Amino acid sequence: MSSWTSAASIAIKDRMFRALAVLRAIVLVNAVVLNIVRADEFTRPAAGAACVGVMVGWSAIATWAYGDRSRRGLPLLVADLAVAVGLLAVTPLVKGADDSSSVPGFWVMGALFAWAIQYRLLGGLVAGVLLAGADLQRQSIDASDYGNAFLLVIGGPVLGYLCDSLQQMATERDVAEREAAMAAERARLARVVHDGVLQVLALVQRRGKELGGEAAELGRLAGEQERELRTLIRAQDALTAPGGGTMDLGAELARLEHGRNVTVSGPADPVDLPAATVRELVAATGACLDNVREHVGADAPAWVLLQAFPDRVEVAVRDDGPGIPDGRLAEAAAEGRLGVTEAIRGRVADLGGTAELTSGSFGTEWELVVPRGGTQA
Amino acid sequence: MSIRVMVVDDHPMWRDAVERDLADAGLDVVGVAADGRQALARFAAVRPEVVLLDLQIPEPDGVAVTAAMVEQDPEVRVLILSASGEQADVLAAVKAGATGYLVKSASREELLAAVRRVADGDPVFTPGLAGLVLGEFQRISEAPEPDPLEPRLTDRETEVLKLVAKGMSYRQIAERLVLSHRTVQNHVQNILGKLQMHNRVELTRYAIERGLDEE
Repeated sequence: MSSWTSAASIAIKDRMFRALAVLRAIVLVNAVVLNIVRADEFTRPAAGAACVGVMVGWSAIATWAYGDRSRRGLPLLVADLAVAVGLLAVTPLVKGADDSSSVPGFWVMGALFAWAIQYRLLGGLVAGVLLAGADLQRQSIDASDYGNAFLLVIGGPVLGYLCDSLQQMATERDVAEREAAMAAERARLARVVHDGVLQVLALVQRRGKELGGEAAELGRLAGEQERELRTLIRAQDALTAPGGGTMDLGAELARLEHGRNVTVSGPADPVDLPAATVRELVAATGACLDNVREHVGADAPAWVLLQAFPDRVEVAVRDDGPGIPDGRLAEAAAEGRLGVTEAIRGRVADLGGTAELTSGSFGTEWELVVPRGGTQA
Repeated sequence: MSIRVMVVDDHPMWRDAVERDLADAGLDVVGVAADGRQALARFAAVRPEVVLLDLQIPEPDGVAVTAAMVEQDPEVRVLILSASGEQADVLAAVKAGATGYLVKSASREELLAAVRRVADGDPVFTPGLAGLVLGEFQRISEAPEPDPLEPRLTDRETEVLKLVAKGMSYRQIAERLVLSHRTVQNHVQNILGKLQMHNRVELTRYAIERGLDEE
């Protein structure tokens, strides 16, 4: 979208012209007071009074005319600049050629700003050059005249450039806002669709289980898909979280539910940790779950609980199996078969944490504790 | 007397299935509704003991419906049935006064057991919900300026909640902590009560802050 026609850029222009109306009033008061104070400088007082009248009149017209965007065309801007240049040009006629202060003085700012706002860099340059030229040709040039002219020529384009940037930024922001709103709406629609699909999958799963036989197999498949879709939705929600090399451990752990009889629980808010830490913790948790599958059964239920504290995260993995018989671990160690257990401990130790294994009538439970604040980036 | 149940769900297929299951099991389905407005209108008329409520229903949503129903009748038990398990919504509904939460893929037996349990005033916690509640109390305890009125979990309650979140049944928890089944139930009930109290404290504080700002 062009920043010349976008709604955001027009809104910016509206605001700037409103501000300019205030500025016009201020420079007008300044010009009128200065001309009254310096009234004795006029060689033709009647013509001088007429010039001041023109300034007052044009200020009123300009304030009204710029108030509506439909009137802000080239004719108005040309007229605005012509009045300012004209007043500079007639100054020698009403004040005498050797007087150094012009009739309009800073009042010409109004036209310069209007051109910079409307036509940006180029507009500011054109208005600056014309005003400076008109100011210089009316008198013999001294250092301060040159300074004023230089300021006009340099100030016009600078102001125009700023207006340009402002309008472009507003246009870009508008586009970004619209895209964000569209994305949010898409997400909302997707949620509605997902919910409908999940409802059906849940129903098929439930009825299938009750009907038995082939329907039960269908139900099982529906259950798998339901779990997968739910994980996907959670992962998608996590996508909106800020990046910066961190990941939501909760969402990543939830992926482990996929294809197994695993329930992952945790806080509602994302648990952001360095991506590498998240990957290692998810891998360690996955290894714990593989262990469950191997020792308790392929479809054995398991639970993963994530807790986040300011200084650490805790991941517990529990199964409902028979537990590990006394002496079984020692026996395995003696036979050099502690590979998996040691691998899990090793991964967690690399993160500066600890991994505890407990076993009893309640099943077997791993408790992985990893400090936050990242020992690994 | 059989339990009076109301079913709120915008999917007719699902609503009928649940209604049939409940009726077959001898429960009294006194009303059904397809959206929030209908649910609230019929709720006032039929006065059910238990409301089976889907969270994703047309306006007003499940969370708002839960809050309105509990306000009208503090004795009502709202059991949330959710397909998508949108975590934040489930937590909000439970904070608003729901007594339990079940995923829709739960079996008929699980559903019936859950309805009977909430009718007795016994909260139904899934491991997922327990995890959310644990996280919520952790968040409360991390608040920069703790409020002395703010309910907190005792160590024992936290322990019980952790075990629920790890998928243990009340019976298993009772065994592991050497408590009676009833004591475990009481702990879970207290946890839910504290969570809902926290919600009221938070709402009141919010209202006061807003009120002061407007003056």
